Amino acid sequence: MSIEVKDLSYRYGTIVALDGVTARLGEGAVGLLGPNGAGKSTLLRILLGFLAPERGEGKVLDYDIRRDQAMIRRAVGYMPESDCFVAGMDAVTFAAYFGELSGMPRQEAMKRAHEVLFYVGLGEARYRLLDTYSAGMKQRLKLAQALVHDPKILFLDEPTANLDPTGRAEILELIRDIATNKSIQVILSSHILDDIESICASVVILNKGRLAAEGRMDDLRAIRYSLYELRIKGDDAAFRRELEARGCRVDETEDRLIKVYMPEGADRMDLFRAAVRTGVQMRAFVKSRTSLEDLFAGVVGVD
Amino acid sequence: MAVVREKGYAHWDGSLAERRFPWLSITRTGIRLAFRKKGFKLALASAFLPAFVALGGLYVSERLEDFKGLVQSNRALLKIDPAYFQLFLTGYFQYFILIVVLSFAGAGLVAEDLKHNALQLYFARPLSKGDYVLGKVSVVAFFVILLTGLPWILLIAFKLIFAGNLAFLAAYPWLPLSILGQTALLTLFFGSYVLLLSASSRNTRYVIVLIFGVFYFSSVLSAILRGIFRSPLMILFSLPENLRQAGAALFGGKLPHAVPAFWSFLVLAGICGLAAAVLARKVRSVEVIK
Repeated sequence: MSIEVKDLSYRYGTIVALDGVTARLGEGAVGLLGPNGAGKSTLLRILLGFLAPERGEGKVLDYDIRRDQAMIRRAVGYMPESDCFVAGMDAVTFAAYFGELSGMPRQEAMKRAHEVLFYVGLGEARYRLLDTYSAGMKQRLKLAQALVHDPKILFLDEPTANLDPTGRAEILELIRDIATNKSIQVILSSHILDDIESICASVVILNKGRLAAEGRMDDLRAIRYSLYELRIKGDDAAFRRELEARGCRVDETEDRLIKVYMPEGADRMDLFRAAVRTGVQMRAFVKSRTSLEDLFAGVVGVD
Repeated sequence: MAVVREKGYAHWDGSLAERRFPWLSITRTGIRLAFRKKGFKLALASAFLPAFVALGGLYVSERLEDFKGLVQSNRALLKIDPAYFQLFLTGYFQYFILIVVLSFAGAGLVAEDLKHNALQLYFARPLSKGDYVLGKVSVVAFFVILLTGLPWILLIAFKLIFAGNLAFLAAYPWLPLSILGQTALLTLFFGSYVLLLSASSRNTRYVIVLIFGVFYFSSVLSAILRGIFRSPLMILFSLPENLRQAGAALFGGKLPHAVPAFWSFLVLAGICGLAAAVLARKVRSVEVIK
């Protein structure tokens, strides 16, 4: 495992940001998912050594997160959520500067800066002042500075924040390429489910500072529950109560589509039995493939 | 979907090295960025004016016979001794040009990083807080040394060349040390002062106003307090006067005010301590609100 944390806890004053999180983040692209305030950014910051955990331990590439922070930072790349650059610089100087600060020889850093700027699509704009860059260009620039020293792990904190659909698609395309073809492990922190679903093979879901679920996306979908989508006619409140009594989680969308999350091992015939018992008529019944959104709703309780 | 990659990604086959002085990159970049600022080169060139005037004085002092008419009324000025160097190095104009140059080169050192959230990029690298601060302070130190220590040590060499002997150095062997001491004092003070103010705001223009304002307002305040309390101790409120007192002590000259130089050193050390405390609080990889 390239990243392992055990019983990790951190609090901002009285607010608990992480509460005893134990997780293993394996190879490939891993999504770090959770609603705002779930503790995703705090976990990334602890892994980078920005924050010292109050309790617990962890390792990144076998380096201890408390003792070997410099080694970790040399081996990983970090793309922060907020816009960040050094004023008065052009892109190539900027990327080379951070390559040099990572420990690259100066000339190598400059050569490498050109390469990564071409890779992220800023080749033509690499001599332009960063102050004149658009939001999408700044996002790609942040990716370039995170890649310049050829990290083994790439931490991406909300990489598609504040981007228009085209810009978002382009950044995701780059991240997908890095994660699948370049043997760089990507840890993608996001609250945008589609981003994670389109890139990551496995996911760690945090909620209120605690680990809500972790594992390969396929396994999580298959193991945790089955999802059925129903349309009924009749007393839906009674039907809902009956299903909840049988251990199901029931959500209803605005267009009155009922989503039933059945626990592992439950019999789908129970749905029909519940309908008979409550006297409702079932108009539609579909076994749905669980999307990440459903999984997220199932474990976090947010639709 | 648009294809954004113009070239593929290739792994780098070198190895990342642990640097002995990782802050040097920050310093070098800070100096280069200063030279890219509009008007900076002109300001820096103008800042060498006192050194050139002093050089002229040194030359004339060795050729008094050739410049009899010129030096009639300026004989005192052309007496070359430690007081001559002190006059320039602890003079108000020297401080003014340092303030001008450092406003260009130093005001944005931390302020710009705060404004553009760049600190997290620095600290995502194998850099400590000390490396970052040292890198930034060294930018200020570079310009202070460039404008004080370097030219004035060279001027001693010119004096010896013009005289054609080592008599001047034999008479005042401690003078180079005084110049180096004054340079170190100015480096420490201005390094702390400029970074303290730069870390106090995210707006570089506001920092420039503060750099000028605090320095000269302290003089005005001191003058007002001296007028009210009739006590020379009130000069301790003035940053330029404290620098002059400390400078005079380093050159072994007469103190400009009847206050022990120790107190001025203490005030200047206090500014350095305040700067260290503010920088420790402001320079963080991540803003933690508790």
